[in-house]
Amino acid sequence: MIRDITIGQYYPVDSPIHRLDARIKLGVTFLFIVTLFLVNSFTGYLFAAACMALVIRASKVPLKFMLKGLKSIMIIILFTAFINLFMTRGEHVLWHWGFLTLTVEGILMAIKMCVRLVMLIIGSSLLTLTTTPIQLTDAIEYVLRPFKRIGVPAHEIAMMMTIALRFIPTLLDETDKIMKAQQARGADFDTGNLLQKAKSLIPILVPLFISAFRRAEELAMAMEARCYHGDEHRTRMKEMKMEKRDYRAMTIACCYTLAIFGLRFAAKVFPFVI
Amino acid sequence: MKMVKAEGLSYAYTRLTETDHGTEEKKITALEQVDIEIEKGEFIVVLGHNGSGKSTFAKHINALLQPTGGTLWVKGMDTQQEEKVWDIRQTAGMVFQNPDNQLVATVVEEDIAFGPENMGIEPKEIRRRVDDALATVRMSEFAAYTPSKLSGGQKQRIAIAGVLAMKPDCIVLDEPTAMLDPVGRKEVMETIERLNREEGITIILITHYMDEAVRGDRVYVIDDGHLVMQGHPKEIFAQVETLKGYGLDVPQVTETAYLLRKEGIDLPGDILTIEEMVGALCQLKSAI
Repeated sequence: MIRDITIGQYYPVDSPIHRLDARIKLGVTFLFIVTLFLVNSFTGYLFAAACMALVIRASKVPLKFMLKGLKSIMIIILFTAFINLFMTRGEHVLWHWGFLTLTVEGILMAIKMCVRLVMLIIGSSLLTLTTTPIQLTDAIEYVLRPFKRIGVPAHEIAMMMTIALRFIPTLLDETDKIMKAQQARGADFDTGNLLQKAKSLIPILVPLFISAFRRAEELAMAMEARCYHGDEHRTRMKEMKMEKRDYRAMTIACCYTLAIFGLRFAAKVFPFVI
Repeated sequence: MKMVKAEGLSYAYTRLTETDHGTEEKKITALEQVDIEIEKGEFIVVLGHNGSGKSTFAKHINALLQPTGGTLWVKGMDTQQEEKVWDIRQTAGMVFQNPDNQLVATVVEEDIAFGPENMGIEPKEIRRRVDDALATVRMSEFAAYTPSKLSGGQKQRIAIAGVLAMKPDCIVLDEPTAMLDPVGRKEVMETIERLNREEGITIILITHYMDEAVRGDRVYVIDDGHLVMQGHPKEIFAQVETLKGYGLDVPQVTETAYLLRKEGIDLPGDILTIEEMVGALCQLKSAI
């Protein structure tokens, strides 16, 4: 059961989106998320969705994988929809029962919020589906670099993420082993109520933590033995280089942002047309 | 210049133990007055049972530990000189026992690049070194793999490649095969021997497997922090009784030869491999 958990959901195909510089992808995703909150009309959503569909198409990642990410947050989406549906006050009351009021404004609001959430999730999973974890950490390190002066340990954060990614499968294996060892001695992890189940995890967590600390100590020594001394005078084998396609992507993202602003403005001036 | 030279090398630490009467300080000597000289290009084996101090000795060569007495030089550099630490670590690379706990990156080639990256080498040169190191350990086709998908022996070869990419003159291996299956052990031993023979890299192999020790040019035996025996494997393993006294075994064939000799069969005392045993037995047979 533990084997089923996949870490990082990178989908390995060769596509124009995969080939883009991770920094560009990170930036564009951020821009996309921010601009989603600027959209205030259905035309705007339609436009954003159409653009997203084009990018998904270009990424060659099956839509199925995108929707997988949605499954886990279905409850949040439904909850948001419910709250917005019944809690929004408006003039056009359609139905009223107790504290629940259904209004036209509520229905519109609920649809808007759900579309926004779904697009947020798909947009960000597009980033993780087309970028390897290592590229992503490199990009994060690069983006955080300017904040070094105010004390943000950019390199250390990236290093920690890399090591965490490296050790997740190792620790999962270890958990599996410990569980089997405990089960062989009669431990029961599957029955009982939530509290009992949580309690039965203690004999797994304690050895796991001890071994994780031991591993950390050994790894630190191994890193030191390989001359690791922070990011001072450190070089990278793979340098991040901006190519023509990256500039092209940047231009497209800028046009997209302008279009979103334009639609927002248009919706304000001609509220009935758009 | 000697590759590694130790003079009166000692290392002691205090261990705090909780007792009923509060914490108790206990001074433990891990190494005492060790003198060792290792030439360039030698294949050295350091033997000793658990807790004998052989790992402590290994960590001194990499300047991971500082001697509390005596001096250790790596290629003429005193390990106590702080400004030489990075040079020493580049000169004498180290491979540890647990293959899982010494790989840093999620991709094989990135991990091999870790050492050179730390040394601040040009990206193009790093690329070249990574490819060369992968080819040397015969793992080129695994460059894009993630370490968790590899076998123990393969991981250990990646760890060796990671050290190789730093272009060391000497590699210290601290029980590199202890956690591997027989296939992995064979892979790693072949790699180590090839590095010594073809690349001329000085090898210091810490082990407690006798069949690995046989392959060295010289064997050091450490017991309870003291250097108790040194010499060619043939000289060392001829002293079966002495070795057993230090809690060490001898290779199976050597033990068999020893037992046969005790029974009055005229076999030479320095049989280390099965081939030698076969040769000796055949000679014996033709003599009859």
